[in-house]
Amino acid sequence: MTTNVLMAGVGGQGVVTASAVVARAALLAGWEVKKSEIHGMSQRGGSVVSHVRLAPDGEIFSPIIPAGEVDLLIGFELLETLRALSYARRGAHIIVDPRRIPPAPVSLGLAEYPDDALQRIQEGDYQVHVAAGTTVAAQLGEVRAANSVLLGAASRLLPLPAEAWQQALRLTLKASIVQVNLEAFNRGREFVPQPAG
Amino acid sequence: MEQRQLLSGNEAIARGAWEAGCGFGSGYPGTPSSEILPALAELGDCYTEWSVNEKCALEAAAGAAIVGARCLVTMKHVGLNVAADPLFTLAYTGINGGLVVVSADDPSMHSSQNEQDNRHYARAAKVPMLEPASSQEALDFTKLAFEISERFDTPVLLRVTTRICHSHGVVSVGERSVKQPACPPQPQVAKYVMLPVHARQRRALMAQRVASLRRYVESAQVNRREAGDPAVGIISAGVAYQYAKEVCPGASFLKLGMTWPLPEQMIRDFAASVQKLYVIEELDPYLAEQVQAMGVAVTPLPESLQEGELNPERVKAALEGSPPGPQSAPDLPARPPQLCPGCPHRGVFMALHRLRLFVTGDIGCYTLGALPPLQALHTCMCMGAGVGQIHGINQACGAGQRAVAVIGDSTFVHSGITNLINIFYNNSPSVVIILDNATTAMTGGQDHPGTGRTLHGGPGRKLDLAALCQGIGIRHVQTVDPYDFKQTQAAIKAAVERDEPSVIIASRPCVLLSRQRGRPFVVDEESCTQCGVCLQVGCPAIISSPTAAGRRQPQIDPLLCSGCGLCAQVCPQDAIRQAGDTA
Repeated sequence: MTTNVLMAGVGGQGVVTASAVVARAALLAGWEVKKSEIHGMSQRGGSVVSHVRLAPDGEIFSPIIPAGEVDLLIGFELLETLRALSYARRGAHIIVDPRRIPPAPVSLGLAEYPDDALQRIQEGDYQVHVAAGTTVAAQLGEVRAANSVLLGAASRLLPLPAEAWQQALRLTLKASIVQVNLEAFNRGREFVPQPAG
Repeated sequence: MEQRQLLSGNEAIARGAWEAGCGFGSGYPGTPSSEILPALAELGDCYTEWSVNEKCALEAAAGAAIVGARCLVTMKHVGLNVAADPLFTLAYTGINGGLVVVSADDPSMHSSQNEQDNRHYARAAKVPMLEPASSQEALDFTKLAFEISERFDTPVLLRVTTRICHSHGVVSVGERSVKQPACPPQPQVAKYVMLPVHARQRRALMAQRVASLRRYVESAQVNRREAGDPAVGIISAGVAYQYAKEVCPGASFLKLGMTWPLPEQMIRDFAASVQKLYVIEELDPYLAEQVQAMGVAVTPLPESLQEGELNPERVKAALEGSPPGPQSAPDLPARPPQLCPGCPHRGVFMALHRLRLFVTGDIGCYTLGALPPLQALHTCMCMGAGVGQIHGINQACGAGQRAVAVIGDSTFVHSGITNLINIFYNNSPSVVIILDNATTAMTGGQDHPGTGRTLHGGPGRKLDLAALCQGIGIRHVQTVDPYDFKQTQAAIKAAVERDEPSVIIASRPCVLLSRQRGRPFVVDEESCTQCGVCLQVGCPAIISSPTAAGRRQPQIDPLLCSGCGLCAQVCPQDAIRQAGDTA
């Protein structure tokens, strides 16, 4: 059974790094995994999405998740979470950092930021977990660790062993920032309640 | 060594080349191909280089192949246009040591100016082509490509696309086996000197080679039939196969790994075994037309499928004959890419914008200078083209045109130099601004001759751009700091008014590279009159919110601000100051 994780955010927020951690954790757990995103022009402050598909066994075909089949959407920014929402299946888990990064057209006064973004996300048929990743990371003194907070929240919902997550963080990040990211990861776990059973 | 690794398609190609004993890797960075050579360099025991351009890369590899080295040459799809000249004749001479050319195509133009389908090159140049559909196949097919290359004495095209290059998958890796080159080179005039008399002989040999390849491909393991429901048969290759498999797992498949030449008999047999035959492919109907030309009936699919990247939804809709649904909520503001906070290109584009000049340009981060609010770049065709276009504009319109060309440092070395010589030689009063940020930024910060560092990060010979331009004979060559807005604007203004060629080198390292951050600036809201000039700087760090009076109050995000100070230089009220400074 394939689990589909979509991450959405803004170039520079560490979306691709976060998806690399998930994919590596799955590899360490002995799972099949495919992951896909776009580099280059689209990362200069533009929208970034990364698709990760995990399966304990069996083959995964498409590296991108079919629309409407996302089981877990991790949103790093409100507008980008809203943009990616149509990819989520009914009942999907949504982890969202309530952070707003206005895009250029909004700063120039050419477009309006959807102020009701969080409300629109919460109104849908999803299980929404608001995780203040940026706020927690800022408290820890490393705002770039916001992605690890969100991963910590995600770790409550993905059946990968704790050692795999920690090892994946160690292998993916520069040694100098591993400790603060592990801390951020642990703080992130508090945003999602202990699953029943 | 971990035998099971998570590799991108690009890393898997590098791994495959390394395992195949590749001894020479060359290329020019281009999304989505850029990560292949650095990955090969990291594996070690193989010479790798960033070449000046794709033609240089392929020609150097052709030389290394003459003495038997196995060579990998990497480029994006448009790079193969630059390298097409040697490729077509290399197919005549043959290669000796295995030579694999990677063409990384970019359907949907995520980071490109067009979405040409380079499968046509294989057919046009008569070189065999492999198309992997996963990271594992990227590794396996690269190794196979070297075998085919040497067995048939021909370059081989390994055609990949963005979704193969930049998708990661689990890959089983193997060991490396190396073949030493046979030096010094031995003359084989009839093989390597393409005088017409020799070329005609080689043309006949090429026909024999193609015939051999057609026999080979019929039984090659790289093409396979997957038994399924005989009602629906699907021929597919590359990532399109994965999408088709995702939406029609029960259908019969003919999965092609080698897509030139095609296994004609295999295709006929497969077609005869299914009731309805579909060809699922990305971009041009390259396979479908060849299958139809064999007299095999193919179920027609909408022509719209030939445009842009495929995905499972599009393939499903095409097979079901239904329109694909909308993919995003349409009422949301777009988030276009932007020049980074502190980008050294910004000062130049602000000056060009204020001077109201027509600006010819090309490919790089600086193409973003075309977008609002800077809107100071008006052409982007191909690498180096702006330096050609400015000359054409000035010759067609006569002197006194308010127009300049901009070009990045890496791009200038890639294909701007010859156009600058053309400007000088033809006495063209053209202004060329080299945006020298000391890297190849858009593709991820690769080195080039102007940086003085090689692919391995070690010291190389540093090309002096100013001395080069002076050496061509350009009399007015001026270097400016684009963080100094007044100096930059004055230099451009003076150059445009001059009646002879000028070069301005706007020199300042890319902020992503230098990682230099000054203290952030802040808007003093008491002095600020909300005039909006700083918003025209187009910096992502400057955000704004509407005021009751219907204007916009700018603020600077301290997490994003790099401290470049350009906004402060243009603020008419001196209301933008560095944090900690007092008025």
